[in-house]
Amino acid sequence: MAANLKNAAAIVGAAESDDIGYPEERGGKVSSLMHHIQAIKNVSNYTGIPISDIQGIFSAGWSSQLAEHLGLKPRYIDTTSVGGCSFQMHVHHAMAAIHAGIIDIALVSHGQAGWSYRGAGGPRGNMAPGEIDPSVEMTMPYGVFGAPSQYAHAMVRHMHRFGTTPEDFAHIAVVTRKWATLNPRALMFSKDTNPFGGPITVQDVMDARLIAWPLTLFHCCIVTDHGGAVIVARPEIARSLRTNPVWIAGAGESMGHSNMLEMEDFTATSAARSSATAYTMAGLGPEDMEMAMIYDSFTITAAITAEMLGLAPRGKGYTLWKDGHAAPGGRLPINTNGGGLSFNHSGMYGMQLLVEAYRQLSGTAEDGINGIAGKQTGATTCVVNGTGGTLSTTGTLVLTAEA
Amino acid sequence: MAYNKPIPPKSQHTAPFWSGAKAGKLMLPRCTNCNRVHWYPRLICPFCHAVELEWIEASGRGRIHTYAVQHRAFGGWAEEVPYVTAFIDLDEGDRMMTVLRGVDPSKPEEIRIGTRVQVEFEAADEETHIPFFRVVEEA
Repeated sequence: MAANLKNAAAIVGAAESDDIGYPEERGGKVSSLMHHIQAIKNVSNYTGIPISDIQGIFSAGWSSQLAEHLGLKPRYIDTTSVGGCSFQMHVHHAMAAIHAGIIDIALVSHGQAGWSYRGAGGPRGNMAPGEIDPSVEMTMPYGVFGAPSQYAHAMVRHMHRFGTTPEDFAHIAVVTRKWATLNPRALMFSKDTNPFGGPITVQDVMDARLIAWPLTLFHCCIVTDHGGAVIVARPEIARSLRTNPVWIAGAGESMGHSNMLEMEDFTATSAARSSATAYTMAGLGPEDMEMAMIYDSFTITAAITAEMLGLAPRGKGYTLWKDGHAAPGGRLPINTNGGGLSFNHSGMYGMQLLVEAYRQLSGTAEDGINGIAGKQTGATTCVVNGTGGTLSTTGTLVLTAEA
Repeated sequence: MAYNKPIPPKSQHTAPFWSGAKAGKLMLPRCTNCNRVHWYPRLICPFCHAVELEWIEASGRGRIHTYAVQHRAFGGWAEEVPYVTAFIDLDEGDRMMTVLRGVDPSKPEEIRIGTRVQVEFEAADEETHIPFFRVVEEA
């Protein structure tokens, strides 16, 4: 029987890089490494934990490079890189390493110049030149380009099975945009921050340019720069710091497939399993969650995930937004930073989820950096779920303000 | 006109699929231990983990599992937008990806999940005949 890791560690601080969003338009490109280092410096300053005290380093593929850049000799190195949920998994792994007594303080870092270096591409996977994965071999002829072209298939299947409509899912974009108008750091905060910014309607979502039917542009996340970092520490350390700890009551991870070709049920993800593990560890259930941070790469991602997390019945995930529960002032605030749909999405969005969850539960969501009146909720519990790949991998955390 | 869309490099173990395609046959991998067909082609059965696999000639028939209409594309596919991508439940089991033929991309609501499709091949180059699926009458 596995040990129960509940509250074996806490997130003791979270920070972002200075130049998120579209930094290119404010003076120059920012590299992914610069986003990492800005965020790491900021979280060190915020927590008062010197960078030299970091013993474990967790990132989506950057760990040895980052440790070297920082002059660290870490004794725990994790580079799990399975898409945007990698950071939820890093927190899970860091908690396990702390629980095992290997380290006391872990850094989870993210830097991704999704906008500054858009379209740059780069090597993917672990194949040598000339090798090809057979799943790629058998899908690359068929004209799918990037995430929207894939995720659209999930929305169509959901519509077929549950009788949902594109308008139902459009409410998710509309409500998430409301949250973005409370976050001055959000790309879509206002017409001043982006020509498409400010409040939107269901009709706006439906009338937007088609990307992959039934997905219009506003069903899709934005593409921006981001850097973020959190520090995870042992309880005794967490209690000794000047910052408010946010406790990791539960953590879980799972996957359904890597290539969408292998997705058994296009209306379900492995978040059902990763959240079951996390809820069990925490001794809490979906009914105990007072807010949620859900990866919204697309409106359909958020809808399906809400169902998987048990926050809504099967087929009814969208009602949390349509009925206003997820909105500012609602009973279950969701994606209070404005989401990947309207705040920021650098390609792998899991860190943005973590930073906002930390800020909400530590009471710093209106700290003058990242929010204006109305963004801070009263939530003391939050379920955080990242989704990676094409509805493939998931990591779930159950976070609480009190141990 | 020369084929101008992506042509996949070939894995070492998928040669029977491509030689079958060249002859107009849809070849699928089947496990000789548990008898189940799987797709995409594995080096090991994903169901029972036996490594004794064989290739069978499939009927080339299936049904639409789900679909989407692509309005944004690159390279040769950009010249064909909008077009309909789909996942096909094969009669022999498991699922293939494809681009659907015989459907109207401007009327996506009229495409029905569960509709009958039949494989056909298009020669991309000498060694690569790519399977596509066409909507057909219910047999």
